[in-house]
Amino acid sequence: SEIDVEATGADQAVGFGLVGFSLSLFTYYTIWVIVLPFVDSDHVIHSYFLPREYSVILPGVAALILLLFVGTFIGVVTWKNRKPKKVD
Amino acid sequence: MATLKLYKFTVCAIYNKNIIYETELSNRNTFILTGGFFNYNFALHRPTIFITMTKLLEWLLGVSLIGVAWGLVTFDLLDLQLPPQYRELAWPMPVYLLVVFGCYSLATVGYRVATFNDCEDAAKELQAQIKEAKEDLKKKGLKIVSAAPVHVG
Repeated sequence: SEIDVEATGADQAVGFGLVGFSLSLFTYYTIWVIVLPFVDSDHVIHSYFLPREYSVILPGVAALILLLFVGTFIGVVTWKNRKPKKVD
Repeated sequence: MATLKLYKFTVCAIYNKNIIYETELSNRNTFILTGGFFNYNFALHRPTIFITMTKLLEWLLGVSLIGVAWGLVTFDLLDLQLPPQYRELAWPMPVYLLVVFGCYSLATVGYRVATFNDCEDAAKELQAQIKEAKEDLKKKGLKIVSAAPVHVG
């Protein structure tokens, strides 16, 4: 039978770090998109958030940058693994 | 003068292997149905279009209904005159749902990485098996280029 040991420190740090990051991102974004329209426009909370248009533009830009990274990665890996064609 | 020939055909919609809808159409009021399967129904003696409701079609139907509802609210196509807060809430919805889905995926991956337990016994066993396999293959003539140890868990 196998004895399971708790995950090592680095794994836990990275894992819980990801959880914390996504929770805070979710909270901030939810307040921005869902809560703010129902808050008076002269409330102080609006100063902590960018204008509403950015709630769509910023994720769009982030998605484009992600696509760029993925595409570049694939391109670099494909370029490294190219084999010269055989000449008969 | 060109005359338009009148064609008659039948449309059958199938859900859970039962025919739930059947109708006669002519090319006076035809429309294109995606996901349809064109056939000739020999009993009815006319061309028949079968639409089998697959999971994909169900999803597409659901997504397009939601999309139409979103479009109606965002672009105010029906002049519903909703309060401005609800219109402000509706238009970023697709992006919001994508971001929420991304956050959920990231959190799930992070949580599973954090709670995935190391299996020391299994790791040792695997290392031993790898070593054994390498020696066995070396005897049979296979050259092993990389000598990097494998880290598991």
